[in-house]
Amino acid sequence: MTKRLLLAAVIMATAVVLTGQGCGGGGEKAATLTIWETYNDEEHPVFKEMVRRFEETHPGVTIDVVRLPFAGAEPKLRTALTTKTEPDMARVDVSFLPKLAGKNALAVLDEYVPEEFLADVFPVALKSCMYEGSLYGLPDQTNGLCLFYNRELFREAGLDPDRAPATWDELIIYGKKLTRREDGVFGLGLRNSLWWSFPFFNTYGAEFLSEDGTRCLLNSPEGIAAFQLKVDLFEKHGIEGGAWRAGGIQNDLGFQNERYAMIMNGPWAVKSLKRTGIDFGVGLIPAGPAGSHTNVGGNNLVVFKSCPDPELAAEFLMFVANEENQRNWALTLGQIPVNLKAMDTITSEEHPYLAVFVEQMRTAIPRPPTEYYPEIENLMIPEMQAALDGSKTVKAALDTAVREIDKLLAGE
Amino acid sequence: MSVRRTSAVGTVVLYAGLTIAAIIVLFPFFWMVVTAFKQPGQAFSAEILPSRPTLENFSRVLSEFGFGRYFANSVIVATTAALFATMFATCAGYVFAKKQFFMKDKLFTFLLISLMIPGMMYVVPQFAIINKFGWMDTYRAMIIPHLANVFGLFLMRQYMMTIPNELLDAARIDGAGEWQVFLNVMIPLSIPIIATLFLLTFQFHWNNFLWQLIVANVDRLYTVPVGLAMFKSAHEELYTLKMAGSCISVLPIAVLFFFAQRYFIEGMTMGAVKE
Repeated sequence: MTKRLLLAAVIMATAVVLTGQGCGGGGEKAATLTIWETYNDEEHPVFKEMVRRFEETHPGVTIDVVRLPFAGAEPKLRTALTTKTEPDMARVDVSFLPKLAGKNALAVLDEYVPEEFLADVFPVALKSCMYEGSLYGLPDQTNGLCLFYNRELFREAGLDPDRAPATWDELIIYGKKLTRREDGVFGLGLRNSLWWSFPFFNTYGAEFLSEDGTRCLLNSPEGIAAFQLKVDLFEKHGIEGGAWRAGGIQNDLGFQNERYAMIMNGPWAVKSLKRTGIDFGVGLIPAGPAGSHTNVGGNNLVVFKSCPDPELAAEFLMFVANEENQRNWALTLGQIPVNLKAMDTITSEEHPYLAVFVEQMRTAIPRPPTEYYPEIENLMIPEMQAALDGSKTVKAALDTAVREIDKLLAGE
Repeated sequence: MSVRRTSAVGTVVLYAGLTIAAIIVLFPFFWMVVTAFKQPGQAFSAEILPSRPTLENFSRVLSEFGFGRYFANSVIVATTAALFATMFATCAGYVFAKKQFFMKDKLFTFLLISLMIPGMMYVVPQFAIINKFGWMDTYRAMIIPHLANVFGLFLMRQYMMTIPNELLDAARIDGAGEWQVFLNVMIPLSIPIIATLFLLTFQFHWNNFLWQLIVANVDRLYTVPVGLAMFKSAHEELYTLKMAGSCISVLPIAVLFFFAQRYFIEGMTMGAVKE
């Protein structure tokens, strides 16, 4: 018993001495911050290394990293928030941020992140961190779709393997040359969801939501024309293989098995496609009447309101998004950096695929932040499906979807 | 003669049907095993057997991804939980089937009502309690909330009610005490249902994903389903690794059913009792 007491006394004394010294160090603070992240197996070690260097330059600070599976992160965060056991920081999908901000769960970071720093952050990605005029996070990753094409199939069809179709009209011509129905080979394979359809809407200049976020505008003439093109590629031109159908060959699988000569895909696909040994190129999204504009996805780092030291947390977020770390991130993992200065260092000679993505992202159009994005997706998908399989006209399908979405946005 | 011929035709049709059904049921398993031996990137190649089979997926899953640890966690959690849940359900089932006490039927109805509430509804309140107890990041949190199993109680009670009271009375006349009646008469006669319940609860805990993820914040406590989910990131899924992990994860269930199946058949012949 006495021994145990003695031990306790020694431990307490040591603790007092240690913390005392910490305070005497001036400016340095001892703190532990927890972050829940969803990086994949390649990204996780790179992130851990980043954390290690942050801890090194901030003596006394510990960043506790908890890695979660991407699919389970959202329910886990929701449970944690209801029971007030959330971490200090988390990595969340761009569509989850407005929901968290709208529910008042996040710390506002405007006062901690200086203007000069924000000026270097890729604006499209930064926009996904804004909610009702305030900054609620910093991007750690951004992405968008480009057009992948099979160079070998291009050669067989007598097309230039170094040149992707520049416009939708050109894509149709290419597609007709590439499609060999008897062999089950199609020029194109497309996915059906709102996110995967934004390249169509964006290249036609169709707006998604009204400025104030209360109305959906996808049934505008531009929106209808854009989706009509997607339907026509399958129905009228017959160059799309029906990849969006239930039981159809999915776009990336069809591309791997050389059934689709062209698909849209993001930078994450480059690495695994290289492993398959397929000779492929990446080009910009074909231009429509409004130019070539892709969609935007990605992830943001956020700080929760309950974090005792939001300033330190914001410092960590800025560390992740700074030029050096972003360049390192991009070059190690082949992903699009979120820092403009890091973006400028990526050359097409050294990083041919990545350079195309970086170029494409510069004209990308982000979704306006809405708390209801997942619900909007759910309302859009069946209507888009009906338009694609011909059971509804494009106008009727989009009108119905927009009517339902407007009800949702009006809070009905 | 004609009767025998139709029955022969019937047998052929039956077996043909069963063979087709077996192929349909087993093909996903076959595909899982085959994919686990494929090179990464070949996951969706159309070849039935991999042209360049590799063990790399298994070794990576076990070494780099720490599946050994996840597997051990799953075994600990699922075995303990299934064992205790079955034990409690057996005891309670016996009492509800064969004993009389105050408000018995009302209490039973009340318990049954709790079955009508979807399991998801319990997650947040249960988590709040676990958190208040300070049980986060422990095996306790993964096991204890699931030990009271109303469905198991219901299953046990219904089965035990079919065991004739005369058997119990006979044992009592022979001088058996309450414990002896329960241990030497009731339990041996209920082995088939006990085995079934054990398997069901084991399988439930083996597959449980959300709860085990929610109460664990350190990856040394992650279970196999959580580990499997790690192979899927935002846009990409590491199929060959996932299938290797899945192969490892179905092993205990497959082994259990292989042995339990025999047990079931033996158990069926045990209830031969004259009323």
